[in-house]
Amino acid sequence: MSEIKDGCSEDFISTCKEINVEEIIDSIKKKIKEKKEIGILKQKDIDEINDMELLPLPDFLEIPNVYEPHLYPEHKMEDFEPFHLDLEKEAGIAKKILGKIRKMVYPLTRFMIRPFLNDLKNLEVELHNQNKEEIHRLKQLVPIVFQSKEYIKLLHNSMNNMIVELSKLKIEEELLKTKIKVMEDKVEFLENRERAVEKKLFKE
Amino acid sequence: MIIHQFLTSYSYGDAIGNEAFEIRNYLRENGIESEIFSLFYHPKYSNQIINYLEYDKFSHKDNIIIFHFSIGSPVTKKFLRMPDKKVIIYHNITPYNFFLDYHRVLAKDCYKGRVELKNFVNKIDLALGDSKYNEKELKEMGFKNTGILPLVMDFKKFDGKVDPVINELFNDGKNNLIFVGRVIPNKKIEDIIKIFFVYQKYFDENSRLFIVGEYRGFERYLSSLYSLKSKLEVKNVHFTGHVPENELISYFKLSNLYLHMSEHEGFCAPIPESYYLNIPVVAFNAGAVKETMNNGGVLINKKDFIQTAALLDHIIKDLHLRKKILKSQQESLKKYFKNKTGKILLDYVRNLT
Repeated sequence: MSEIKDGCSEDFISTCKEINVEEIIDSIKKKIKEKKEIGILKQKDIDEINDMELLPLPDFLEIPNVYEPHLYPEHKMEDFEPFHLDLEKEAGIAKKILGKIRKMVYPLTRFMIRPFLNDLKNLEVELHNQNKEEIHRLKQLVPIVFQSKEYIKLLHNSMNNMIVELSKLKIEEELLKTKIKVMEDKVEFLENRERAVEKKLFKE
Repeated sequence: MIIHQFLTSYSYGDAIGNEAFEIRNYLRENGIESEIFSLFYHPKYSNQIINYLEYDKFSHKDNIIIFHFSIGSPVTKKFLRMPDKKVIIYHNITPYNFFLDYHRVLAKDCYKGRVELKNFVNKIDLALGDSKYNEKELKEMGFKNTGILPLVMDFKKFDGKVDPVINELFNDGKNNLIFVGRVIPNKKIEDIIKIFFVYQKYFDENSRLFIVGEYRGFERYLSSLYSLKSKLEVKNVHFTGHVPENELISYFKLSNLYLHMSEHEGFCAPIPESYYLNIPVVAFNAGAVKETMNNGGVLINKKDFIQTAALLDHIIKDLHLRKKILKSQQESLKKYFKNKTGKILLDYVRNLT
């Protein structure tokens, strides 16, 4: 906004015809130049004042007191379904050739792989049983998880409300501080007034 | 002829309320029956103001009702439903965006006010603006029968006694600057404080600033102003709050210069008041200020704190220039004398009958 260097132009002010605007502008320029030369007036100070903005206290109504529901999306049961694993299978000529080779070596592989097959079957049974136990345990945990979810929601809400209330209290505190300052000014003014009244009365 | 007036609120010290009061007195002096009807008014004035809902008892198609319009309110509906001849005096509505950060309800009322104003088009007999600036807005909105009625003011009240205690307190040789008006955001009181800070720091340590006007309802704005005041460490800034008439006269008479940096004005009554009390006026060119200045005082076209502070110093110290400014103000003031503005009003209403 302010530039000390060039001072003001004639369109800075306007007044009646009888008053010489140029003279006023010259005087303003002179005054600013003098202050600048002495070193009292610095561009930095002026810029600081220009940039100084009023910081309004937020309005109570602007502080939301409802926790945003989008932070808690409702999960559907499908979201928890196990995913499918697609096994890679041969197709076309490769399938035919491999099928023929398998047929030829089948008696041999049956004899060789049998023990592993049995092991695999036993492992499958064992895993199935374990899985059953885990599912049973998880089912027992589901209500606890839902309960915890509700607790977290409640916790978030109470934290949000606490922040809202603290913000309100801070605004209230700032307003009260201003009121105290106003009252201090008024008390000081009234004290001075009292003295002035006394002075006036005693004079008369 | 019977002429009544409608108001949204009547409070002491308010320019619109004062005008309504002066119009009523002027009409009565001229043998015209006149009452004021308002939505809000201080109980102190219950013997002078009537609740607007009681107007049905007074209503007649030959009567004229003048509505002082400056904000949205339920009075508009009542006014439009009446069979009387209708006149509005448009005092302008402060753009709502000034209040967004400080007073949501008022921002809403100001927004509503502009919407309500459109409802008057083609439903009233005459639309008056208290300045060309206001009349232009009315024309742009589609009002056909328009006119200008400068604020009806009685300067005699400024001939009254000063408060001796205020005089005793502040008549100490300091140079005093004054601003009169409500402490609300569009008045840009922060700019006044900044200019005063520069003036006090670089030109006159021995100076004081009076900010005379109501701040209740705008505590958050006042709080910001206090923060700015302490940030700048500026001394001798006095927020007087709402003051009685004799104290206002004292503050005016103690002051060396009237400074106004508002960014929206529909008229600006303190300017002619300062003219009357022989206080040089320096005001920022916004809204109807230039028109109200009427070639008197000094108008600032660009907000520049350092240059404005230097200008204030020049006006206060150069007695020759001061005299010239005061002379120009006295010439400009003639336009606002009650006998002139009152006559303009009578001419308008006589044309309606």
